[in-house]
Amino acid sequence: MQPALEAEANRQLAICNACRYCEGYCAVYPALERRRGLSPADLFQLANLCHDCRACYYACMYAPPHEFALNPPALFSEIRRQSYDELAGRPGRVLRPLTKAAGVSIAFIGVAAVVVAVGLATVGKAGLSSGGHGPQSPYAVVSYPALLGLGLGTGVAALVLMARAARRYWWGVGGGAGLLRLAGAFLGAGADAGSLRYLRGGGEGCDYPDGRPSAPRRYLHHLVAYGFALCLAATAAASVEQDLLGKHPPYGFWSVPVLAGTTGGVGLVVGTVGLAVLKTRSDPGPGDPAMAVRDYGLLFGLFFLGASGLAVLGLRTTALFGTVLVIHLAAVLTCFVIVPATKFVHFSYRVLALAKDRIELGSGGSAGG
Amino acid sequence: MLAGNRERHLPVSERTGGAGAPPVWDVVVVGGGNAALAAALTARHLGSSVLMLERAPVEMRGGNTRHTRNVRVAHDAADEFLTGSYPAEELYGDLCGVGSGPGDEHLARLTVERSAAVPGFMAAHGVHFQPALTGTLQLGRTNRFFLGGGKALLNAYYRAAATLGVVVAYDACVEGLNSTGDGLSGVVATVAGRREEIAAHAVVCAAGGFEANLEWLARYFGAAADNYVIRGPRYNDGTVLQALYDAGAASAGEERGLHAVAVDARAPRFDGGIATRLDTIPFGLVVNRHAVRFYDEGEDLWPKRYAIWGSKIALEDDQIAYSVWDQKTDAEFFPPMYPATTAPTLPELGAALGLDPVVFSRTVEEFNAAVVPGGRFDPTRLDDCRTEGLTPPKSHWAQRIDTPPFSGIAMRPGITFTYRGVAVGEDGRVRREDGGVFANVFAAGEIMSGNILTSGYLAGFGLTIGSVWGRIAGRGAAEHAAGARS
Repeated sequence: MQPALEAEANRQLAICNACRYCEGYCAVYPALERRRGLSPADLFQLANLCHDCRACYYACMYAPPHEFALNPPALFSEIRRQSYDELAGRPGRVLRPLTKAAGVSIAFIGVAAVVVAVGLATVGKAGLSSGGHGPQSPYAVVSYPALLGLGLGTGVAALVLMARAARRYWWGVGGGAGLLRLAGAFLGAGADAGSLRYLRGGGEGCDYPDGRPSAPRRYLHHLVAYGFALCLAATAAASVEQDLLGKHPPYGFWSVPVLAGTTGGVGLVVGTVGLAVLKTRSDPGPGDPAMAVRDYGLLFGLFFLGASGLAVLGLRTTALFGTVLVIHLAAVLTCFVIVPATKFVHFSYRVLALAKDRIELGSGGSAGG
Repeated sequence: MLAGNRERHLPVSERTGGAGAPPVWDVVVVGGGNAALAAALTARHLGSSVLMLERAPVEMRGGNTRHTRNVRVAHDAADEFLTGSYPAEELYGDLCGVGSGPGDEHLARLTVERSAAVPGFMAAHGVHFQPALTGTLQLGRTNRFFLGGGKALLNAYYRAAATLGVVVAYDACVEGLNSTGDGLSGVVATVAGRREEIAAHAVVCAAGGFEANLEWLARYFGAAADNYVIRGPRYNDGTVLQALYDAGAASAGEERGLHAVAVDARAPRFDGGIATRLDTIPFGLVVNRHAVRFYDEGEDLWPKRYAIWGSKIALEDDQIAYSVWDQKTDAEFFPPMYPATTAPTLPELGAALGLDPVVFSRTVEEFNAAVVPGGRFDPTRLDDCRTEGLTPPKSHWAQRIDTPPFSGIAMRPGITFTYRGVAVGEDGRVRREDGGVFANVFAAGEIMSGNILTSGYLAGFGLTIGSVWGRIAGRGAAEHAAGARS
């Protein structure tokens, strides 16, 4: 962590800890009050516990232009950003250029070329131009083992990198071990994260985008998060149908994989567009511009996944099927490649921070909000 | 920047000059804090056109209310946020117990009686509450805390005001009152740099005390005022109070009456608020510039005594004092905003604080020798840790200061607000020096707190006065305006 940022965090949070007016808003301030002197690990924990609801910023009499210039949401955003980078380690540094607009475009084209090449090698030219007579199977474009290899290879690599970073976080903040002890904490953390408990601000919703309590951000985030989960579920369901029940794609519209994927895809598209619109309207005061770039990046990526997935479904009876499938597969695989260096990882640190907070409170305990 | 306020940033005349805008406002409220908002909301509910003139820019709006956190009100029963009942009689008794008691007993009783309705008014305008903050549990029964503190309350009130159609002008400095002899025809204000004559049927003055006017303070406190820290914004300079006096208003309250607490000597001169105050005093000793103790640090529970220390320090040489403690109690209080001076030995701490190390060590050793052994330290109640044969004594929480590292912080008097203001009647109308009352001039909040407070302070009662009298003044102004219109 940059020494200047650490010093600024300690300056601001010493004032917060002497004031404490915000302790009823969320878990961050009670957690701050339990600490005297903040290590970089403490700052990572507090920052990842912060959901950026911004209630504290608007309630703060010391916010700019006051000379104390307190701005915890912006401070925590910056620390979160540094925590993502630090915990991602060397693989993160290598992948980071690919998360920028130019990098991700090149990566996408490269991955698409690989998909096409693999498709040509495993199925042949006919696959890519097939279509126009009933729903198509993806295996008509790329063979099942090749697709499985590509997906598993990149997906497992991403999971391993993210798990390593998560483990580093957990030991850094002193989360500790013990199956029973952790099970309760993580169940509670799952409920907190799943309900976005701390994105409620003062109760009526977070003060986003413009300093007035409002609920849409929380609901839009639910659309994105649960939309994403449904897309994962669709993949899992397809795998069950195919490998356990022996039913091969294409699946009908009312089948579990297609229904889950469609619902999830719509959630992703609507949610990401909504969050992006809110973000363009958001008060820059409590924001961190560099984090906002990553937020837009993540929103764009998830939107593209959702939209391309829906396009595959919508166009699977047409001659465009091969093309959109390649685009969707390339999008998924590109995401797998770059994900450890993107804002996507906020999910795992958020859950870990909430679990650590539960442990600090004693299992099942509840914080201010 | 608070969105939703941009349109209200316009000079008043740009909104008042158009068709449909009143040539004469029913009620003009001078001020932008809790009392002003209570008055404005109340008057607006009663059908008045209401213009608020807030001296500060939008980001700094709300006067001293920005720094508040709770309100002391009577209530019959415990609820989600309060741990027990607090009958009006008990509140009145507590009010009589501070300083020299209430200024005007009738008005003080009225304040206490009406206090019970304040939380309902707040909640109806979007204010949320929370249990007493960690470390303030002794206030958990008597004081209702605002979720997020005073600025969150202000934001809720301003949102409600906007919804109801109260017009708010920021950067609006009232420089004069247009007197008609027995009332006002309006005010003269500079709004965002432009001078405006604003006509009104009734005027509510809720513009705070004069604590930020250092010259005015020096009139009563002399050169000592140079060493006072002003905890609230610099806008509370008494301009409106002086204009009321110039128009013939009668004064109420003592010249030297004020609410002052001990704050860190490193606090900014203005607007340092809650974060600079120190809660270390009952956990150790306090010495003056000569390294000598001067008052019982453990006289009573801290919420009942925190408000006397500002004035105590103000009476010492150079208006400075030093709170010292040792490692044993280091985690007992809110961690101070600025780091404490620490040293491994008492003489070194004394020297580091700029005190005579020999005298300082002797003071602490005399105290240590006087601590009665065997007491059970308990900061949540009046415990049995005390001194014997020491002058002044430390009556509770007296523990030997013997465990390094030793810590200390220099303290100054931090003034929250001054009490001397204008005299009012029970309808909130400002009384005149000639014995009459102004027909259409009302006052609320700190500008009239001297009717109720004389010396000393009761935590959370400033907001009580502002809320109760804001509503009284707002109702009086609206009813007067309705009569004047017809």
